[in-house]
Amino acid sequence: MRIRALPPFRRHPVSFFIVIVLLSGLILISLRVKERQGVTYFDALLLEVCSPFQKAATHILEAVQGVFQKYVFLIHTQEENEMLKRRIAELQGENHQTKEMTIANERFRRLLQFRDTLVTRTLAAEVIGQDASSWFKSVSLNKGERDGVQRGMAVIAPEGVVGQVLKTSSSYSTVLLITDYNSAIDAIVQRTRAKAIVEGKEENRCQLKYLRRTEDVAVGDVVVTSGLGNFPKGLLVGEIQEVEKKGYGVFQYAELVPGVDLTRLEEVLIITESSTVSLPPQEEKVEKTKKASGGGRKKK
Amino acid sequence: MTLQTTLLASLPIRRFRPDLVLIFMLYLGFSFSNVSGGLLAFFLGFLMDLFSGNTFGLYTFTRPLIFFMAQLVRNRFYWQGFSSQFLFVFAFSLLEGFLILLLLSGVSSTPLHNLYPSIWTHLLPQSLFTGLITPILFELFQKGSVSLTENHRRSVQAGG
Repeated sequence: MRIRALPPFRRHPVSFFIVIVLLSGLILISLRVKERQGVTYFDALLLEVCSPFQKAATHILEAVQGVFQKYVFLIHTQEENEMLKRRIAELQGENHQTKEMTIANERFRRLLQFRDTLVTRTLAAEVIGQDASSWFKSVSLNKGERDGVQRGMAVIAPEGVVGQVLKTSSSYSTVLLITDYNSAIDAIVQRTRAKAIVEGKEENRCQLKYLRRTEDVAVGDVVVTSGLGNFPKGLLVGEIQEVEKKGYGVFQYAELVPGVDLTRLEEVLIITESSTVSLPPQEEKVEKTKKASGGGRKKK
Repeated sequence: MTLQTTLLASLPIRRFRPDLVLIFMLYLGFSFSNVSGGLLAFFLGFLMDLFSGNTFGLYTFTRPLIFFMAQLVRNRFYWQGFSSQFLFVFAFSLLEGFLILLLLSGVSSTPLHNLYPSIWTHLLPQSLFTGLITPILFELFQKGSVSLTENHRRSVQAGG
């Protein structure tokens, strides 16, 4: 009687299992690279299951930190208080000047017949966790698809741009920060209107790419979003810290510090809607006013 | 994973925060069986990718690989002392870092020149910190697994 040889996976089950596991990992990588569609159903499910632990841990940490900062480490509080009061007074003065400039700007825009203005709708979200890996820069938020968050939406803070939504699940989402190597934002230098792409470099540092060598850029220049892409125009990206112009080449190199301290993010705003609203041009308003006054006279 | 993304990220050492999941993975490699440990390593790698800005799923591949490599050397390596545990985890942390860079260079369309300085600013110090706290965590994991085994044995005896 002939004894049938065992199949390979029965003869070497452990090796076979190792190959299966590693192959599964490689297949997953190739699927994600190929499709790049974001989070699949299973990913979203796991995110929903695991994110509440992050959220709970963050709340506990904030409570403990709050106790230490508010009650234990009350060092130099009075001096800080005085300094802040002075700073508030200065800022109030600057705020009044800014308001005046805004009013004048609006007047000039109407005169020049710029008809559209940008309206944005935002959703506030809390940061509940940081990136698990040191190679990538991202944060987890406590808002997801159920709240209207979609992949690709811009995320900002009062101080400036934060990043873009990378992954979403029903109640949570992951944001790719502007300091991640994979992040690229279209921007302009506010002073000279020089165009460039802001790419992530390292923790709290970005670099300006494709900045022409002929453009006038200096340390201290402010960089804002250009309006191309998912970010509305004019949002602060950061301030230039270093400019390097080699003796050759088409482009120059600049480094900037983001306007937002991305290592201490607690709350952010997600831009859920960004649309243009048409303003009535000046001539139409004058016509309407004439018609209204003519009708009034007739009635008399 | 929760500790790594919340507590350690909020401390001043966030840049060099130790990789607790890697330490746990290597502990699994020393003390768990191929099948259960391998599946756990795969699942933990998958979770790392979920809570990361990495969209390629690299840790789903590298973590099980690290686990199986640890299994390969566990019988040829004395891993009970402080220095041996430190060196072992330090070496594997560096190895995984280079593996991630290698995989990224293959699958990512974005140039990686911004990531290379991170080898000195992030990978090396992080591997050092990870290695330094390994003996403490290995001790904790060992005590945890012993108490779990004891509880299981008692419950089986009580059931029998």
